[in-house]
Amino acid sequence: MIRYIAARLLSIMLTFLVVSVIIFLMMHAVPGGPFDGNDMPVSDAVKAKLNASLGLDKPLYVQYFKYMWGVLQFDFGVPFQSPGETVLELLARAWPPSLILGGLGVLIGAPLGILLGMAAALRRNTWIDYLASAVATIGLTIPVYVTSMMLILVFAVWLGWLPASGWGKPNSWILPIIAYATIPLATYARYTRSAMLDVLNKPFVTVLRAKGLPERKIIFQHVLRNAALPMATVFLPMFIGTATGSIFVEAMFRVPGLGAYFVSSIELRDYSLEMALILMITMMFCVSYLLSDIAYALLNPRIRVGGGEQ
Amino acid sequence: MTPALELRGLNKSFHLKTKGGLFPRYTELKAVRDVNLVLPTNSIIGLVGESGSGKSTTGMLAMRLLEPTSGHIFVDGTDITKLDHVALKPFRRKMQVVFQDSYSALDPMMTLQQIVAEPLHIHNIGISSDQKTEALNMLERVGLDRRYGGRYSHELSGGQRQRVAIARALILKPSVLVADEPTSALDVSVKAQIINLLLDLQKERGLSILFISHDLSVVRALTDEVAVMCDGRIVERAATETIFTTPRHPYTRALLDAIPVLNPRNRRTRTFLTREQINKATPRLRSTELAEKCEPKVEPQLVPISPNHHVEAIVT
Amino acid sequence: MTGMAEPIHAQRSPLYFALRRFTANKAAVASAIVLAILVLMAIFAPLLTPTGYADQNYLTDALAFPSLQHWFGIDDLGRDFFTRNLHGARVSLTIGFAAAICSILIGIPLGAIAGYYGGKADWCVMRLIELFSVVPPLLAAMLLGALTKGGFVTIIVIASLFGWVQVCLLVRAQVKAFREKEFVRAAQALGATPAYIMRHHLIPNSISPIIVGFVLAMPLAMMLEAGLSFLGIGVPPPVPSWGQMINIGINFMYFYWHMAVFPTAALALTVLATTLFGDGLRDALDPTLKGR
Repeated sequence: MIRYIAARLLSIMLTFLVVSVIIFLMMHAVPGGPFDGNDMPVSDAVKAKLNASLGLDKPLYVQYFKYMWGVLQFDFGVPFQSPGETVLELLARAWPPSLILGGLGVLIGAPLGILLGMAAALRRNTWIDYLASAVATIGLTIPVYVTSMMLILVFAVWLGWLPASGWGKPNSWILPIIAYATIPLATYARYTRSAMLDVLNKPFVTVLRAKGLPERKIIFQHVLRNAALPMATVFLPMFIGTATGSIFVEAMFRVPGLGAYFVSSIELRDYSLEMALILMITMMFCVSYLLSDIAYALLNPRIRVGGGEQ
Repeated sequence: MTPALELRGLNKSFHLKTKGGLFPRYTELKAVRDVNLVLPTNSIIGLVGESGSGKSTTGMLAMRLLEPTSGHIFVDGTDITKLDHVALKPFRRKMQVVFQDSYSALDPMMTLQQIVAEPLHIHNIGISSDQKTEALNMLERVGLDRRYGGRYSHELSGGQRQRVAIARALILKPSVLVADEPTSALDVSVKAQIINLLLDLQKERGLSILFISHDLSVVRALTDEVAVMCDGRIVERAATETIFTTPRHPYTRALLDAIPVLNPRNRRTRTFLTREQINKATPRLRSTELAEKCEPKVEPQLVPISPNHHVEAIVT
Repeated sequence: MTGMAEPIHAQRSPLYFALRRFTANKAAVASAIVLAILVLMAIFAPLLTPTGYADQNYLTDALAFPSLQHWFGIDDLGRDFFTRNLHGARVSLTIGFAAAICSILIGIPLGAIAGYYGGKADWCVMRLIELFSVVPPLLAAMLLGALTKGGFVTIIVIASLFGWVQVCLLVRAQVKAFREKEFVRAAQALGATPAYIMRHHLIPNSISPIIVGFVLAMPLAMMLEAGLSFLGIGVPPPVPSWGQMINIGINFMYFYWHMAVFPTAALALTVLATTLFGDGLRDALDPTLKGR
């Protein structure tokens, strides 16, 4: 078991390092530095000096190692677009909107999705089933900016109940949260429905029924537990994906979150911010995959007793 | 006469993980132990035993579909044990195999004619139209109408599929055929047809067949010589009738006693022996009783009690 | 000669049953019809539209609402909006198709190698898959897009880079399952090389996961393209792309609803149809693939 965890940890770290190298190279392959734009035209001499001061004239691998060394100490450098603060400070400022809206979106969407999926599985082939399947499919196939747009159109423009954008008051949070909630809802509705159907058809459930166990107990004590495993492992990556903010939702609702800053950092060639954002998010995904794998291994007796990747 | 196939001192061990964790533990499973077998040309040898006795593994080893841990395999006198893939290829033409599960032995996406022609394709024999004709001829030879060439395996019954498998195995005109339980999955009437087919083909082509089975009645009808395997080693080896009429090893006797009999009045009392009982009942023979001189040893070894009858015994 | 085998009537092939399962799924059949119509319309787009997609013939009537002459109205630069949307269909479907093909070209060999050889080769492929799974596709796509300034080929490359993983996993699972089957053993006994076995036996037997992977890679590619075009680093104007049009349409949304609604509806409909078709295909070809 420990061997398994150690092996996974090492391989995830390897993956992360490779990703960091590739992203670093890609970023620096984009021609033009942060001072080449037309916003602040500077003479070549000044540009050279500015670049040197930021260490941008050194060879790439030197820059890479300097950077990664800093990362280990949680120093991501200074964002070019707002040199008054460190990247870390900027991220700390920018993350809460994404986290709150995205996190709430998942926390609301997932349970609703599970309930919907359960209802669909238990009332198979009735209108509830069709509704749930329709919602799930639509939620996953319609791009999130489309849903955002429709929400804005309906609730802000035509009905005028809720504000269309902004970040100040809580009631401007409602629409973005709904937009964020669609994907977790749809995903969990689908998963729950198919996982429960799988388990409900297994022979041991028939045996339980024959024993006379009340349906309610069967569902909650036995079926859910068996179906829960794959759903639990999916939760963490999904949460991270949503809590780091969707570029589209933030663009549509004009929320100053991580997504919005990522877009601006690409436009402005803000290396530090770009790099920091991608690395951070990648790292979080790595950790989440590692945790899901471990959780799966812990919960799945086959791996726990067998001792390793089968 | 060089035998078509000879196995000398063949051993195969599997390493299985019993405990995981930081320091995994392995046990060694000796599936095949010190097996010596000679398959003369133009004869059929049966290899019998219970499930898990190692007989199928021996068959796989003989074909080098599994690599032996130690020992030697001789085909037509040549040692093929350590040959690499390229050097082995011409020998692959000389030995072929027919499996028990005919359904998964045929590629579901290929037509019968393609399946039977595939060996010619792999060994680049003839052009494709010749290959096609040859394949259809072979189908006919095993008792299927030529028009079946365009059909798929799922359209056939078990017996028919086994015929196709035999056709594919024989199209390269091998000298050795390893048949691993080819009739075990078939109905009784179909069993008889397949056995007759194998006998015909053997006579016609001078094939040597290593017939692996746990079905003793089939083995009796088909083979010239029988080797009995138990726990990975051969415990008795003799001409077929000798084994069935005068078995000397307790394990062989137990196997024969277990054959179901048609007439209840002829029922024998079955002796279900455990491993320990069998090991205790290993015959003890003095070296003077044997057909050849053998050194006395503590462990049992395969010794000849007459020129064509070998039994595992403890020599004193 | 030994007893002749009894001739058997030709039984129904698995394809027949798959077709029956597919037609029983009403959503899938409806999607198939919708897709067929879309594809036909996209192919014959130039014949169906009065003008080219870049022709700004109607500047005086810019932003006009839908009418009998202009079914979808006119956009802000005086172009017939129906034309633009129809050509947008061409763009999306082409990109989706091309990206899906590239995805299977990458995914099939990698999946076959991983499934057949197992061990180290499998480990390497799984690491590769992990590499492409931890990076959020959209962010990486944006970075790549900024690198290459967008454009048709770039988008296809990006979309296939993130689509091959699914195909690879499906093929790998199928190859692993079939590898132990006896017809593979028989081919090995005949002296076939692993490459031969993979090409002639394992991959043909993986046709259903390949088809499913292909059809499901298309909507992913289309969504990615739409997203990138929405952000301005996708298909360059004046070539119309629904994502691009949605981006513009949002600015006009409050008054000129047609600018945003039509491309949105078109995109949603196409992605929905492709996804449902893909799901139906998967359920029909191999019901055991469902779930994950």
